[in-house]
Amino acid sequence: MRITAFTQLILVLAVTAWVFLLPIPAVAMLLALELVLLLYIKHDRMTMAAIGALTVFTGMMIVLQLLFGSSLYISLTGGLRMFVMTTAFLDLLAGTKIQDIAQALVEKFHMPCEYAFMLTTALRFVPDFLADSSNTLDAQSCRGYSNRGNVLKRLYAYLAVVKPLVMRAIAKSDTLALSMELKGFGANTYKNMQPQTLKILDYVVLLLIVVLSSYPFWHKFILR
Amino acid sequence: MLEVNQVNFAYRRGEPVLHDITCSIADGESVALLGHNGSGKTTLTRLFMALDHPRSGEVLVDGNNIEKCEPADLADKIGYVFQNPDLQIMEDTVFEEVAYGLKNKEISEENIKHQVEVALKAMGLEEFADLYPRSLSFGQKRRLGVAAALALNPRTLILDEITNGQDEQEREMMMSYLKKLNEEKHITLILITHAMEIARKYTKRSLVLYDGDMVYDGSTDELFDGVRDLKPWGLSQPPLATLGAVFGIKAFDTEAFCNKLELKGVGVK
Repeated sequence: MRITAFTQLILVLAVTAWVFLLPIPAVAMLLALELVLLLYIKHDRMTMAAIGALTVFTGMMIVLQLLFGSSLYISLTGGLRMFVMTTAFLDLLAGTKIQDIAQALVEKFHMPCEYAFMLTTALRFVPDFLADSSNTLDAQSCRGYSNRGNVLKRLYAYLAVVKPLVMRAIAKSDTLALSMELKGFGANTYKNMQPQTLKILDYVVLLLIVVLSSYPFWHKFILR
Repeated sequence: MLEVNQVNFAYRRGEPVLHDITCSIADGESVALLGHNGSGKTTLTRLFMALDHPRSGEVLVDGNNIEKCEPADLADKIGYVFQNPDLQIMEDTVFEEVAYGLKNKEISEENIKHQVEVALKAMGLEEFADLYPRSLSFGQKRRLGVAAALALNPRTLILDEITNGQDEQEREMMMSYLKKLNEEKHITLILITHAMEIARKYTKRSLVLYDGDMVYDGSTDELFDGVRDLKPWGLSQPPLATLGAVFGIKAFDTEAFCNKLELKGVGVK
């Protein structure tokens, strides 16, 4: 039995709130849970690479905060919160079809289907964009592009990669938009699909979300 | 001179793509690199350009191991034209686009202008010099890619499926120019192609890859003798080669074939 995309989206939003509402030990526990869940759903090389990249990014963020004068505690908790929020998103992507997310956004959140499609297309574009970036870098290298030298030189040289990449992304989105219209994309998109009905597990998770999200309230007024 | 010695290669997440490949391509040769999709043709040429490095074995350019080289180090020796021309386009005019690689070499404006004009003329693009490159047709963009590579005056040209999207006339013009370059200036041509007729007409030597193994390294004439069964390698004899084998005629286009057939006394309407 699985929870629907609607509940998963609510859960991701709730996690975003929890990292600020719950005490830090609970947030750390949440992270452990998320990682276990992520590795349970998908434990391939891509997932490990994503976790690795996220860890490096978090480390960099912590160092930057320290460099700009934040205390060690603030820096570490900031990094932890970012890590937890992003991992929740990775869990969502690993465990749910993008089509289901789009359907939930349209059906349950009443988002116009154009926007839902835009959001999901952006997600689909990421691997394409990475592959294009690598191919463009190769193509420009063959014409003498090199990113050797100081930082400024490298940044300037990188324009040779960014420009074709952006132009290609625009051209691709244009072609995609046209092809979607030709295939009848419009008002009925996502509506002809099997509706996502909430099951018992969804209600249990939603209840848990309400309980945890109201933690400051019952911690202040009930537990004391 | 390009050489690969006992090269093995696999992409990071995949199965081995090239198995124990050894071959050398001398200066001034015209070579067709043939094989089914996914046979390793593009991968092999990427190794020549240092876009990838082998897992084992060595790749030599002019006798030097390129293990520590970047593609930019080889850009003025080897010109590489990619399958997808859009990847390279970054400037606002066709002229500037061809001049891009030359500017990386920091040569005088006058020389840049001259070399660009020669390359544009060779590819029949001189009238488009001031146009926005992305507004060109697919075939024109392909020729723009070749012009950009030619402008750098490389001694070797690796051309990945450059005849795709070209009409008959454009293809003929481009390939004739490249053949002339090969014959007169001894530029090495490495042609990756699925067009067997193009390989047959414009190259003297063929390398055939099948599932990452080099299964043929020899004369193009012998490969396309019209009789040899190429289906096990995912290739086929060009129709004119098959017909030529039947009638004992060697011709590269239908008109020449018909003329020779007529000379043999077989009437053709």
